[in-house]
Amino acid sequence: AEPSAPESKHKSSLNSSPWSGLMALGNSRHGHHGPGTQSASSAAAPKPGPPAGLSGGLSQPAGWQSLLSFTILFLAWLAGFSSRLFAVIRFESIIHEFDPWFNYRSTHHLASHGFYEFLNWFDERAWYPLGRIVGGTVYPGLMITAGLIHWILNTLNITVHIRDVCVFLAPTFSGLTSISTFLLTRELWNQGAGLLAACFIAIVPGYISRSVAGSFDNEGIAIFALQFTYYLWVKSVKTGSVFWTMCCCLSYFYMVSAWGGYVFIINLIPLHVFVLLLMQRYSKRVYIAYSTFYIVGLILSMQIPFVGFQPIRTSEHMAAAGVFALLQAYAFLQYLRDRLTKQEFQTLFFLGVSLAAGAVFLSVIYLTYTGYIAPWSGRFYSLWDTGYAKIHIPIIASVSEHQPTTWVSFFFDLHILVCTFPAGLWFCIKNINDERVFVALYAISAVYFAGVMVRLMLTLTPVVCMLSAIAFSNVFEHYLGDDMKRENPPVEDSSDEDDKRNPGNLYDKAGKVRKHVTEQEKPEEGLGPNIKSIVTMLMLMLLMMFAVHCTWVTSNAYSSPSVVLASYNHDGTRNILDDFREAYFWLRQNTDEHARVMSWWDYGYQIAGMANRTTLVDNNTWNNSHIALVGKAMSSNETAAYKIMRSLDVDYVLVIFGGVIGYSGDDINKFLWMVRIAEGEHPKDIREGDYFTQQGEFRVDKAGSPTLLNCLMYKMSYYRFGEMQLDFRTPPGFDRTRNAEIGNKDIKFKHLEEAFTSEHWLVRIYKVKAPDNRETLGHKPRVTNIVPKQKYLSKKTTKRKRGYVKNKLVFKKGKKTSKKTV
Amino acid sequence: QRKKEMVLSEKVSQLMEWANKRPVIRMNGDKFRRLVKAPPRNYSVVVMFTALQLHRQCVVCKQADEEFQILANSWRYSNAFTNRIFFAMVDFDEGSDVFQMLNMNSAPTFINFPPKGKPKRADTYELQVRGFSAEQIARWIADRTDVNIRVIRPPNYAGPLMLGLLLAVIGGLVYLRRSNMEFLFNKTGWAFAALCFVLAMTSGQMWNHIRGPPYAHKNPHTGHVNYIHGSSQAQFVAETHIVLLFNGGVTLGMVLLCEAATSDMDIGKRRMMCIAGIGLVVLFFSWMLSIFRSKYHGYPYSFLMS
Repeated sequence: AEPSAPESKHKSSLNSSPWSGLMALGNSRHGHHGPGTQSASSAAAPKPGPPAGLSGGLSQPAGWQSLLSFTILFLAWLAGFSSRLFAVIRFESIIHEFDPWFNYRSTHHLASHGFYEFLNWFDERAWYPLGRIVGGTVYPGLMITAGLIHWILNTLNITVHIRDVCVFLAPTFSGLTSISTFLLTRELWNQGAGLLAACFIAIVPGYISRSVAGSFDNEGIAIFALQFTYYLWVKSVKTGSVFWTMCCCLSYFYMVSAWGGYVFIINLIPLHVFVLLLMQRYSKRVYIAYSTFYIVGLILSMQIPFVGFQPIRTSEHMAAAGVFALLQAYAFLQYLRDRLTKQEFQTLFFLGVSLAAGAVFLSVIYLTYTGYIAPWSGRFYSLWDTGYAKIHIPIIASVSEHQPTTWVSFFFDLHILVCTFPAGLWFCIKNINDERVFVALYAISAVYFAGVMVRLMLTLTPVVCMLSAIAFSNVFEHYLGDDMKRENPPVEDSSDEDDKRNPGNLYDKAGKVRKHVTEQEKPEEGLGPNIKSIVTMLMLMLLMMFAVHCTWVTSNAYSSPSVVLASYNHDGTRNILDDFREAYFWLRQNTDEHARVMSWWDYGYQIAGMANRTTLVDNNTWNNSHIALVGKAMSSNETAAYKIMRSLDVDYVLVIFGGVIGYSGDDINKFLWMVRIAEGEHPKDIREGDYFTQQGEFRVDKAGSPTLLNCLMYKMSYYRFGEMQLDFRTPPGFDRTRNAEIGNKDIKFKHLEEAFTSEHWLVRIYKVKAPDNRETLGHKPRVTNIVPKQKYLSKKTTKRKRGYVKNKLVFKKGKKTSKKTV
Repeated sequence: QRKKEMVLSEKVSQLMEWANKRPVIRMNGDKFRRLVKAPPRNYSVVVMFTALQLHRQCVVCKQADEEFQILANSWRYSNAFTNRIFFAMVDFDEGSDVFQMLNMNSAPTFINFPPKGKPKRADTYELQVRGFSAEQIARWIADRTDVNIRVIRPPNYAGPLMLGLLLAVIGGLVYLRRSNMEFLFNKTGWAFAALCFVLAMTSGQMWNHIRGPPYAHKNPHTGHVNYIHGSSQAQFVAETHIVLLFNGGVTLGMVLLCEAATSDMDIGKRRMMCIAGIGLVVLFFSWMLSIFRSKYHGYPYSFLMS
């Protein structure tokens, strides 16, 4: 136990005082004597409550403790920052993936044109021919944060390119996240748990997955805003001070400006208040906190152009309004209590509360029905009715992050934390108080959402870190170090002091007697140093494994820029596959500035960001029918596709093809989604069944369905691929991704021509030919042996309305003088 | 010509009469030949060939029949109900001659008989590929006959009924025990419920609910039963139960550890609790890690168990 000794000393010295702080919290229902003084004490001396100061402060000077916490937080920040740098070190300082490219492009626009220009930005390079009003359809928090940092640095004459600011923004904010997690956990449990939670969230893969250097996305800063808002909310519920609530509203405003996930906050906080009401934990503090938060938060959130009037017009926000009304009614009835007799009050109370609840509910339903309030949007609705998206909205179901979560991905992202956090939840519910109600609700709702959508693992991660930290810190408090016996007397003392505060001298005596007894028992009370050290060792080992796991996962799974690919040879040397940038740069250099590039929507942002060309659809999937049109073009045959492409003014078509290097995320593997989305809008022309074989398989080889083998996507992917022999063991035209020899090797284009294929064939670009001056006939003119003798002239005159039979024998009768001539 | 029209109108009115009685017309050999096979027709008939008698033991037939009935009902009671299309069924035990005539040897089979000519290949519904849900059949019918049927399932009352029953039971219990509402404030009960929910979610029950995987996989050649899915992208139901148990074990271990340190039982019991707790944590965690390793290929770390 030699190496772990200093650390254990740190932990124990940290925990010694908060433990007694916990004791104080345990009976905090008697009266909140803690919070008042706590809010007065500055953040520089984080000490929970006066009893802790008495017990812990005597043995440990407060300065020593806060120095230690600062050091640990700083190290957590550093560790979190540096473990997110794998991608930068291995590759280069580059923006990752898809969405970050758009964020980068708009941040660049913001930095070079200024804030107002950014708000008014109409991007005509996206969604051709519709365009996109960027300023009104983005959450601007991320761009403004990055732009602000860039501006400050440049004002200080530290010249940094905006790209570097964007790349390193998320790792920097991860440090802030761990600090706000520390603050929140300290409010919930104690300082030791807070530090553990800060360390957990600094390195946990579930959060790193969205915040590695280069992943310049909303979530990177939003989790910080989320945690900080929750911290300030808990603080304001604890203190009931308008100051903290205002801070909470500002933080909420930042969250609204940063991420659409703010809906989670605006539903969780009312839920907390509602449950507090149900638990009869209503207090003036809750009233002040929630009323202020709802009003100010509502007004602030409506300042974001993209959010606008949503907070009063959509169902997602109605719970907050309903709880607000309910709370007012409740408070009013509480006020009436002083004026009425008990019996009167009770009837009035139940009547009033149920009436208020019913009225709120009915009015929401009525307003929804009459259309003042928009019903749940598809994305939110699919969270409740889990089968909804699969049937009705293929565009949502097609996104890989909207799939449900397997236990493997829970374990992969959270490791030991996922096993232990229920224990933390258990402790919280067993020692419930106002703020622990909050964390329990947070855990339960977040775990549900994470189960429905992989993407929402992100909102689960912070609460798992906090609860796990509570569980671990609870164990370490009792098992770390042999200072249990030393610690016991001060705790007894503090409880003794609590007893003293209670009126009645009898208790005082009883307390003394009890103390006496416990002192007698003490020698046989401890579990013994052996067991304790074994438990401690094993626990530390588990935590060590967690750290190792996190690093491994970060390094192997979450640090790929996906713009640049890497493959490893047998001897460990690395090949960089830079096909994407090669192709985008080709587009940038060799095509007309206003050329329009058609591709599947995944690559829209990258084409706009790297190639600077106009795209038809992109990752902002707001227009399903436009996407379906592109999907239809991709899945039709060439002639039909050409018509669509002409009508959309397409100049180039870009496809991703992984068959040469075995890249699995290529367009053929995504192809079925294109078909499905196209079928959703054009069920007459595209049918999913046509792309399967008789046995219902999706095959690209000879057995594949002829519709598939002749559709545009197939032809563009495999054009000239049939001539290519990759190695000697496989036939020519062998697709490495799908392990099959392709079925249609003789591909010829009529309206397209190959313009560019990157080094490893990953990106293929085709040019759409302009129509010929004169359309040649696709077939020979039909030859018949009936040679028309003379042109047919209708013999119908006004006089002879009888039917006319072609080639009817005409009898020449004798001449008859017609009436006219007579 | 006149006679043809007569026959046709007679057939149509006959079919309409039956269809009004019950949406899916039961047919035997004679009726089938006269109304579906014989030429003067201006309507499509979608026929389900099935074997519903109990002794045939065709489970799929029964399920398919339910879906078919739903579809036919939605058509029968929709506003667009016309005589362009009829739904009929032939049971093997009532019209085995029809089965012989059409050279069919499997049930259930859906065939669309178009107004003109014989059924083509695409007029036989690909049951294996598309499944027999009413929506899929409706799409196939829309495809073949241009009749769009919006499937309206009769609302499933079972769910709300169960919920109502549950609420009534709970309400009753609360009412019976209204003098003693202590149990509502029982923290252990609430904590236990919360834990159950959390454990169910983290073990991927929601995935099971949405994707509906099999309970376990039995290898048809060796008879060996696989409880753990080999890939990290999917899971079996059995596997999630195992994971739920393991997660619960680790949690229980953590709680026991704390109980051991804080409770006021005698020291021997507390030692036992402590050892049991740490044992649970370490055992179940390392076991879980080994399962994870077997699913996530290339994962290098393990603990106690490989």
